[in-house]
Amino acid sequence: MGTKKTPVVQKSLFSWVLASNLKIQGFLVFIILITVFARVVPLEMQKRVVNEAINLRRVDLLLIYCGIYLVAVITQGLFKLIINYMQARIGQRALAEMRKELYHHILTLPLGFFRKTQPGLVVASLITELTTSGSFVGMAIAVPVTNILTLLAFAGYLFWLNPLLALISLSIYPLVLFLVPMLQRRANEQNKRRVDATRVLSGRIAESASGIHEIQGNGAFALENNKFDHLVDKLMNIRVVWTLYSEGIKLLNNFFTNLSPLLVFSLGGYLAMTGRLELGALVAFLSAQEKLYQPWKDLIEFYQVYQDASVSYGRTMEYFNLEPEHELAPSDRKPYDLEGSLEVSNLSFTVEGGIRLLNDISLSLKPGEQLGLVGFSGSGKSTLAQCIGQLYKYTGGQIQLGGKEVADLTKKDIINNVGFVSQSPFIFSGTIEENLLYGCMASSEGNGAKGDGTIPSLDDIIAVLQQTGIFIDVLRFGLNTILAQDRDQKLVETILRVRTNFQRRFGQELAEYVEFFDENRYLFFSSVIENLTFGTSNRQAYETEFIADNPEFVLLLERFQLSLPLLSLGIRLAEQTIDILGDLPPEEFFFEQSPILPDELDTYRQVVARTKKENLNRIGPKDRTRLLQLALRFTPGIHKMVALPEVLESLILNGRAMFREKILAEDPEAFTFYENSGYIFSQTILNNIFFGKMKSTNPRAQEKINQSIVHLLIEEDFLETIVEIGLQYQVGSKGDKLSGGQRQKLAIARMLLKAPRVMIMDEATSALDNKSQTRIQNLLETHWKGKSTLIAVAHRLDTIKNFDRIAVLKAGKIGEIGPYDELIARKGLLYELEFGKK
Amino acid sequence: MNSNSGKNESGASSEYQENLNILRQIDFFSGLPLEATKVFAYLCSRESCKPGDVIFEQGDEDDRALFIISGQARLSQQTDNAETTIRHYREGDFIGRMTLLGQIRRLFSLTATSEVVCLVITREKFTKALEKFPDLVPKFIDVLVHNIYRWEKRFLKTRTGDCKDCMKIAGVSLV
Repeated sequence: MGTKKTPVVQKSLFSWVLASNLKIQGFLVFIILITVFARVVPLEMQKRVVNEAINLRRVDLLLIYCGIYLVAVITQGLFKLIINYMQARIGQRALAEMRKELYHHILTLPLGFFRKTQPGLVVASLITELTTSGSFVGMAIAVPVTNILTLLAFAGYLFWLNPLLALISLSIYPLVLFLVPMLQRRANEQNKRRVDATRVLSGRIAESASGIHEIQGNGAFALENNKFDHLVDKLMNIRVVWTLYSEGIKLLNNFFTNLSPLLVFSLGGYLAMTGRLELGALVAFLSAQEKLYQPWKDLIEFYQVYQDASVSYGRTMEYFNLEPEHELAPSDRKPYDLEGSLEVSNLSFTVEGGIRLLNDISLSLKPGEQLGLVGFSGSGKSTLAQCIGQLYKYTGGQIQLGGKEVADLTKKDIINNVGFVSQSPFIFSGTIEENLLYGCMASSEGNGAKGDGTIPSLDDIIAVLQQTGIFIDVLRFGLNTILAQDRDQKLVETILRVRTNFQRRFGQELAEYVEFFDENRYLFFSSVIENLTFGTSNRQAYETEFIADNPEFVLLLERFQLSLPLLSLGIRLAEQTIDILGDLPPEEFFFEQSPILPDELDTYRQVVARTKKENLNRIGPKDRTRLLQLALRFTPGIHKMVALPEVLESLILNGRAMFREKILAEDPEAFTFYENSGYIFSQTILNNIFFGKMKSTNPRAQEKINQSIVHLLIEEDFLETIVEIGLQYQVGSKGDKLSGGQRQKLAIARMLLKAPRVMIMDEATSALDNKSQTRIQNLLETHWKGKSTLIAVAHRLDTIKNFDRIAVLKAGKIGEIGPYDELIARKGLLYELEFGKK
Repeated sequence: MNSNSGKNESGASSEYQENLNILRQIDFFSGLPLEATKVFAYLCSRESCKPGDVIFEQGDEDDRALFIISGQARLSQQTDNAETTIRHYREGDFIGRMTLLGQIRRLFSLTATSEVVCLVITREKFTKALEKFPDLVPKFIDVLVHNIYRWEKRFLKTRTGDCKDCMKIAGVSLV
């Protein structure tokens, strides 16, 4: 390891106090000193009011003393505010630093660590467990200094008033100081257990959330609930005991500090009676003594926060106290530019329990050669690929990339020279473009040479998209984009031009796949509301989500004689849908052809139950709105559970004409009606080109339409623009809006864009259909052969037939290695894999 | 090929209800409890083809099962240089029980010889729905097994004497 600063996990809690802004801390102490002074002043004034002003009947003195009292109190309050603010600032800043550093550290930890660590645990550590440490750092100087100084000031004042009384009333504190730590030790034990239990619990939550398909698929609700409930109960018990101890400390403290006025009363009272103490002094003494209580309580609380913080902090840092297996970046040289040769000799990889996943593997590849790794599952083919990619640290033998030992390379060297695509590649939430550029960004960043031409151009991106076959997907994302109203006019104009050409060139040919917007016909692939308004609303109250609630609109429906027919349509839709889908889990998949959304299922179930026996006229206003909403969404071409009654069809067509008339007469700005010459901002680009909607989701129809559209877009020189828009498509969290095949294609494109010297693909095409798989296989064989060294783990043998060499692994060893034909002719392991046992 | 418009001529029953009636005639679905059949009927879609349209092609990894509602289609097999017509399918035929249960590539091609309307369910939809009714899995397997068994029984019975080679590969029901 280099000579770097201490890793975050080895820093002590106090180092954060020192690392915080010491100037601010110093200023804080200064303010505190003033505050302490401001706290003592009122006491003195109190005494003087009684002893001087009242006794001497001097009103002027009374006013002066009260004035000083007031100023002191205000100063105190004001400064307390400043102190709190600065404390919060210091604390929050320290917390932010802790989080950042720990996060940065966690990202570098070896893969093996994450295999046994639940993501939830990492979240809990970063989010919850560090908060107390943050508050502690904020308090670390201000609180003890303020309170100890206040204590000393009051104690001094007490001694000044009466040494004997002071000694007696302070005698209680040493006892408290002895008892509190004893209880705190027990509280700390519980706190440690609490941290651990919270960790297990967060791990369990994260596991359930990520495995939710299995839980719902297997109906394992009771099982999971049991496990979870058990953990929650355990945590609850620990927290109860912990709280008990913490509260116990406060209680004990209260008890003893409350005892001390008793001592003062009894002794001070006696002294006053016998005339050895002024009455004013006794009052001041009692007040001062009462004031001791608050700083003391604060100190005890501070002590508790300190203890809790050090427990959580220690426990958290200890858990992550591992060193990264490889240095991140070379400290004394530039990252290597390696040659693509690979030399593996006597490689072995042994995991805990002495299990040898890889055993005595030797092979070598020249730059640009292609190696296929095959074998039955569990043979170690993926492990070997991962060792070469530095994802695992092998335990014996050597792997040399371009003549350098992989174990000694830094992560940066690997990132700059090796591309890795795993079977289920991770796609980050963000746009397609961000995901594509991920590899390039990561390797150019921190090089000191940011933007040194390593960021690929749009042409490069498009080339890679085409090579991997994800181009058409990106194009479709682009075409399915709904443009924002303020999008630049030129784009809109171009789309309108494309529309005209589309209608001229393909209007006839594609008429059976597309339902064109036609003012005089009912549109079966548009919703009832679209059919009725035949336009895009420019007023919120007329937008689809709100329109059923809009009294004006409801009145219109009444006038168009649509109210009752729509209501009964709504009822039938709700009844049928609930009847079909009512017992299914609310998964998106089942609701694609349903007007009811998954999260509305319960609501409509209740609506159906309520309205079942009711006369139409007696349905409540809220249910009416809901049913109307459903009816307005109804799109006969998609929602097949109910047929559109012919009466309704003609009523809606009549309504369309009347609606248009009314809007044009009363508020022509409120709607933009569909017109062949105008852009429709509520529709996708594709629907705008069509001036209609696609009828079929059938793949063959899709392909035919794609061909025509691509053709047209190329002619119009518009393809790149659409692809650029498509690149901005948000892929969802972990890319869940993409199919498995799209994710794999994206990951391969991401690697190719980086054009690394060595490419490792771990069953990287397993989710692709044949065509896409063949395309990528051809690409690798023609375009990349000789340029980049390729190591591909393959499940299907036909994808690696033309590779230079194939290594067949069996139980962690290389069973045989050579070109495909040679191995097949030998009728050994590969033959067995391909054709089964002889 | 093109899915039907949502228009319903009679105005009486919806496409879903028609699907439901059709499924209840197909052996693969007829024995199911109504609540499951409803979900399958809901997930089905319609496709229509013109004469000459290829419904599926040899070598495709097609994942649909189809029921021919109307029209006729020709099943054929392509060898290196010749195409053999195997048989014709018509109204009421159901094709593709196996495709619903596992990923296989088409060994034959199906081409529409007239206007064809069929009811289609994809493996993805079938599997997702089946996950919600796990008790039904044995029923589907049972129907499939009996289909294969009946197929071979018929094959053994109707084979003509001159097809000695056929007998060498008989025994599909023994797989």
